[in-house]
Amino acid sequence: MTDGYAVRLEGVTKRFSGHTAVDHLDLEIPRGSIYGLLGPNGSGKTTSIRMIMGILLPDEGRVTLLGDDPAQTRRAKVGYLPEERGLYKKMRVLELLVFLAEIRGVPRKVGRGRAGDWLDRLDLGGWADRRLEDLSKGMQQKVQFISTVLHEPELLVLDEPFTGLDPINQDVLKAIVLEFQDSGMTILFSTHLMDQAERLCERVCLISRARRVLDGDLKEIKQRERTGVVAVSFEGPADWLAGPEVMRQEAGPGAIHLVLREGADPTGILRRGVASGAAIHRFEVVEPRLHEIFLRHASADMPPVPATVSR
Amino acid sequence: MRSVWAVIRREYLQRVRSRWFVFATVGVPLLLVVATAVPVVLASRNEAAERTIVVLDRSGDIGSWVARALEKGGYVVEPATPIDEERVRRRVESGEVGGYLVVDRESLVAGHAKLVVNESPSAFRQLGIRQAVIQAALEFQLVGTGTDVDQILSGGSLEIERIAGSGGGMNDPAFAAAYAGSFVLYMVILLYAVAVMRSVLEEKTNRIVEVILSSLSPWQLMLGKILGVGAVGLTQLAVWVVVGGALMVLGLPALLAARPELTAITSGLPGPSFFVYFLIFFLGGYFIFSALYAAVGAMCNSDEEAQQAQFPVMILIFVPVVALVGVIESPNSTLSVVLSLIPFFSPFLMFARAVGGAAPFWQVALSIVLMVLTLLGVAWVAGRIYRVGILMTGKRPTVTELLRWLRQA
Repeated sequence: MTDGYAVRLEGVTKRFSGHTAVDHLDLEIPRGSIYGLLGPNGSGKTTSIRMIMGILLPDEGRVTLLGDDPAQTRRAKVGYLPEERGLYKKMRVLELLVFLAEIRGVPRKVGRGRAGDWLDRLDLGGWADRRLEDLSKGMQQKVQFISTVLHEPELLVLDEPFTGLDPINQDVLKAIVLEFQDSGMTILFSTHLMDQAERLCERVCLISRARRVLDGDLKEIKQRERTGVVAVSFEGPADWLAGPEVMRQEAGPGAIHLVLREGADPTGILRRGVASGAAIHRFEVVEPRLHEIFLRHASADMPPVPATVSR
Repeated sequence: MRSVWAVIRREYLQRVRSRWFVFATVGVPLLLVVATAVPVVLASRNEAAERTIVVLDRSGDIGSWVARALEKGGYVVEPATPIDEERVRRRVESGEVGGYLVVDRESLVAGHAKLVVNESPSAFRQLGIRQAVIQAALEFQLVGTGTDVDQILSGGSLEIERIAGSGGGMNDPAFAAAYAGSFVLYMVILLYAVAVMRSVLEEKTNRIVEVILSSLSPWQLMLGKILGVGAVGLTQLAVWVVVGGALMVLGLPALLAARPELTAITSGLPGPSFFVYFLIFFLGGYFIFSALYAAVGAMCNSDEEAQQAQFPVMILIFVPVVALVGVIESPNSTLSVVLSLIPFFSPFLMFARAVGGAAPFWQVALSIVLMVLTLLGVAWVAGRIYRVGILMTGKRPTVTELLRWLRQA
């Protein structure tokens, strides 16, 4: 337990007949963090997660979970929501949850109590004795989410947890995930929705075409990846916008975006603006969105994508 | 261990609670009993009027013989002469008596008679009356010769003295029971092995298996599944045995009292050793075949695919069924001995020979040892195929791919 990482992948590689799904992936997920595994469809997210979960065995490399041998730890300390959801359609909700907890070592009585609490919390209390097939897709997904936490895991692995949920339930799920983090749980989730990741993750790993493109603390990444774009909105003269620092001007949403030359300092522009007498409402160095960072890095080995600064 | 137990429990309860199981377990035997009992009850329904028959004697001497034979068959007989015919006819019309039988000289030489009734009598009744006429004719003709007409008509008897070996053939009651038992084994083993396959397939097609496999190993899952479904099979068999036993204890004496001629059949009813063998060979056969079927289920992605992929396994289970009649006819031929020692066939063939009393103890023991060894081998192979196949989607693996799975898993 001295290891500070909840998950550690070292040079993990998985090949399927003809193609490499995951190529020498290194990954370190600190305990207690919310970690996003990001990438487009088919980039190797799910394969990586399946190897973390021991469902697939890596061809090369090593997986360590919670500083321990994965096989022992996994069952009792890890919760898993697979990308392809599936439950026994003929079983009753409560019965199924008790079963899924039991195969992870939770006594039936304890499992039943916890499942009841969770069903109530997610507004499914009235459905406990209904068959799964009577539930809507979204409800089934909530049931499946409950099944991942009944054994009170230390690490929660969620593969595309938000797809299929309406905005209200997405927020509910997000709140629960944050609450889990407060209680010390580590959460790893994958998504191809960068906005989701941006709002939730502390750390991210971007993968594209089986390889890691970028990883680390999201704030640091954003700092590092700052492109030098300033969003300005104002009334009055506009001639101060042009200057040696500014490469070009673009119309952004409710603002003008000034794209700076590499290494240029934006304070000179602000000074000119104040001097010009314009009424400046906003002058802000824009952080790049994860979406853009991803495109910038992924496009290096991808077919060219129009790399706009803002959408 | 708790995980395996949970899987066993789930498989068991889900199945035992299903309507299908209740129907098959309680309904089917009940249906069988009803189906066999109803005709007997209907045919032997003892209504006074129907049971009364008037014998109209045109010959003048055979009438009393026929009457006696009919009385032996449970009829109430009223004698009459040809002058009475009109009156008797009216009594039949009004339903006062069941019918009248006209006998004449021809009855004596050809066993011919004429029955006048309102409604065509059942085949069962016709047979009884015909037999009574035949018996009367023979008794009349053979009177004084000391011939036991009753005995001859009931089929005589053949006493068999074996000089060496043991018998065989369907006429041996023990082998008739063995035949029926083998067939039930075949049905039950196939039924439950296929249930295992379906269960594997369901988890695969519904993508449940990924969640399950993050909690326990494929090996544990397969084990739990096979044990759980097997327990359902045992439950069903137990119910059948109990119901059958109760019927025998409660119903048989009553049946035999009503129909003494059935006594011969009951001597073939199975004894305790039958059930012990049945249990042993059911377990052996079920474990071997359910492991094979689990592997088939793991290789496939749909029911249609599984239909095709199970073909090789079907052959293994089908060959002994085809060979069964031959084995029963000559249970100690070299071919029978060899076939019944092949572990995949033992559950049916060695069972039949053991129950029939043809297999010496060492052969039975050897077949059990071979079955256990095969079971271990099959479990190893099936477990590996299962381990790899359970998460595979896409096309069904070829034989070469399967061999690779065996190495890599």
